[in-house]
Amino acid sequence: MANATETTTPPADVASPTVRVLREALGDQLLRFAEFRGDLVVTVSRKAWVQAATLLRDHPELDYKLFLDLCGVDYLDKDDHVDRYEVVLHAYSVSKKHHVRLKVGVSENDPTLGTLTAVYKGANWFEREAWDLYGIVFKGHPNLDRILTHDDFVGHPMRKDYPTAQRHVLKQAKQWLLKVPEGTENMIVNIGPSHPAMHGAFRVQARMDGETIVDAEAEIGYMHRNFEKMAEERTYWQIIPYTDRLNYCSAFMNGHGWALAVEKLLGISAPPRAEAIRVILSEFSRIMDHFICIGANVVDLGAITPFFVLFRAREVIYDLLEACCGARLTVSYVRIGGLAQDVPEDFDALCRKAIESVKDVTAQAERLLTRNIIFANRFRDVGVMSADDALSWGWVGPCLRGSGVAYDIRKDHPYSGYEQYDFDVPVGTLGDCYDRYLVRMEEIRQSLRIIEQVLAKLPAGAVIVDDKKVALPPKSEVYSNIEALMNHFKLIYDGILPPAGEVYGYTEGANGELGYYVVSDGRKFPWRVKVRPPCFNIYQAFPEMIKGGMLADAVAIIGGLNVIAGELDR
Amino acid sequence: MGLLDVFKGKFVDPTYPGVHAGGDIITTRLDAVVKWGRKSSIWPMPFGTACCAIEFMAVSFSHYDIARFGAEVLRFSPRQADLMFVAGTIVDKQGPILKTIYDQMPEPKWVVSMGVCASSGGFYRSYHTMQGIDEIIPVDVYVPGCPPAPEALLSAIMKIQERIQKGEQAKVPQGAHRLGAPGDGAIDRRARRHFWEKDDAERARQGLTPRGRLELKVLAQDDDATGHHG
Repeated sequence: MANATETTTPPADVASPTVRVLREALGDQLLRFAEFRGDLVVTVSRKAWVQAATLLRDHPELDYKLFLDLCGVDYLDKDDHVDRYEVVLHAYSVSKKHHVRLKVGVSENDPTLGTLTAVYKGANWFEREAWDLYGIVFKGHPNLDRILTHDDFVGHPMRKDYPTAQRHVLKQAKQWLLKVPEGTENMIVNIGPSHPAMHGAFRVQARMDGETIVDAEAEIGYMHRNFEKMAEERTYWQIIPYTDRLNYCSAFMNGHGWALAVEKLLGISAPPRAEAIRVILSEFSRIMDHFICIGANVVDLGAITPFFVLFRAREVIYDLLEACCGARLTVSYVRIGGLAQDVPEDFDALCRKAIESVKDVTAQAERLLTRNIIFANRFRDVGVMSADDALSWGWVGPCLRGSGVAYDIRKDHPYSGYEQYDFDVPVGTLGDCYDRYLVRMEEIRQSLRIIEQVLAKLPAGAVIVDDKKVALPPKSEVYSNIEALMNHFKLIYDGILPPAGEVYGYTEGANGELGYYVVSDGRKFPWRVKVRPPCFNIYQAFPEMIKGGMLADAVAIIGGLNVIAGELDR
Repeated sequence: MGLLDVFKGKFVDPTYPGVHAGGDIITTRLDAVVKWGRKSSIWPMPFGTACCAIEFMAVSFSHYDIARFGAEVLRFSPRQADLMFVAGTIVDKQGPILKTIYDQMPEPKWVVSMGVCASSGGFYRSYHTMQGIDEIIPVDVYVPGCPPAPEALLSAIMKIQERIQKGEQAKVPQGAHRLGAPGDGAIDRRARRHFWEKDDAERARQGLTPRGRLELKVLAQDDDATGHHG
């Protein structure tokens, strides 16, 4: 928490240009700055909030163009915080390759703050979420309405004094998101939340002038199952199964990201063998995710064969995961500090079989799709997103790379040993649906390259750290040795106790930067866990993208964005 | 296998009482034939919202091949379906929509609740998650698992087929009493924790020990003061 970060405050002449620039511009409005586990944290006063964010974006030395995340935190009954609430902004600079966390305190009596919607386009939904969950009012916000919870909801559920299981019943779904203006013959078309083109549960309404979309509005929250609230009552490893269900198409990667975030907080790292296995399974998960995205996308356009073809390889990868941990989809295989258990003896053979299968089905699907004129015509020049806009919306992953920005965390901030492997980062040129499709296809091939390299020199050794405060002792020890039994009991009973502090852990998920902002006050439950969901930013731009296009194009666009409801609404 | 083969006795036991002339003539009740037809040509509607929907795809695709049960014609319109798979968590915001979709299905209709989230809310016991879809719609078969294994879902389809053959069909929601589940006090661990912390601090200020602490008698010979967890 703030205390811990302040004790590590570096001397006033910190080398970071961010602090220097902000101090010159803001003077005493810059209240605090600190560095903890390599994360730069700057706290400003409420007056300087919008100015500071603008400066971060526009100053040539800082260039924090990529909007990542904005969230609220409730410090109820925490004596070291003057203000009850805090609003936290995360941003990144693709050119300078640095992150920043900008914080501002918001008092309980007057929970208001200036809006950042004019600075970052992507801030819009994040501020609505902060209002919905914490009741923080953003002055000047164009549409400060509930976003995740339903209309009949009472209260702000993420506040610490809101009972976790207090539900409110919704009798009637909201019927119209848009209105037809007087004097026009426009028509409103409602798509979702139960519609075959809306994979999962989200909804969009379009106002049509003939075949053209004039206006569109999206609604989410149909899968808001409160991961973040639940995480505040779970120990660090109890949260692993919940992370699996964020992006369930590539469950392993979410757990991988969570483990890395907590390991960063603890200041430990997993053994090389565990990291190598994590990389293999993460890359297979990425391939699986891209299969679902491409397959479902073309199903929406009327071609079901490629999905059948691609799914065959998914089954082979399921077999691999099942051999490792017993589960097919939601694997829960990582642990803080390593993996639950070592891989089976025939791991190498299973991987090679999966690689062959992926190569086979990818080649088949490419023959069916890439040069297929019907497919290409539906995809080319549809849903174009420029690089600048993509950054401002906070797009990441294959979608951002499709717009021509070569930002890949595996390359720019390698984790789990990605720096040892040789792979390329594909980028698009135009930013249309076809580019996003090609990027995904190429990423599948690059992932295979990585897997083959890891398999060639898979290290031997332990798969979890040898630290009795983090990892459970082996079962054989527990049953035969009193010390191991006690360590087991202590760890189960007390949980992992990280130091007080806050970190932002980020990995390259299948959809892009999957970040976990974890605040710990030194107890066994985290004080706050905020997921930075890649889909949230991506889907936010969707209504803007489809305006002026045809309704049929909207269907082509949505599939290519790969919006996963579990991750979108958490 | 053609339909004629079935009737010609190739797949019909000729010794069965209703079978005559070696299978050329079968006598039965019309009702039974209709149900047999229904159970062998289920048109399911997947109401997929989350992880279970991905596993449902696995079941419906070639590897597990739902077509073996005559249930491969997936319909995304409730008006053309007679079996609904609710695959995934249903949250309160989704509730009225699920109810609408269910009401739009023509009778007779069956519902499979796939996975623990749809059956009971699963491990999401929280402010926005419905604690089982049977709060609002009737459910015929519950499938446990998170997500269920494909074999479990196939078994559920066979259970539904049995129910169709027997003419059984759930008609009313069974968990309506859970609507708007209670939250006051009963399960609010956080409020309780806050109360305890404040109470402990207050008692400490008065020089008292926290409530509920058991003072153990220290025996004279006992020199192990660290306790056995140390």
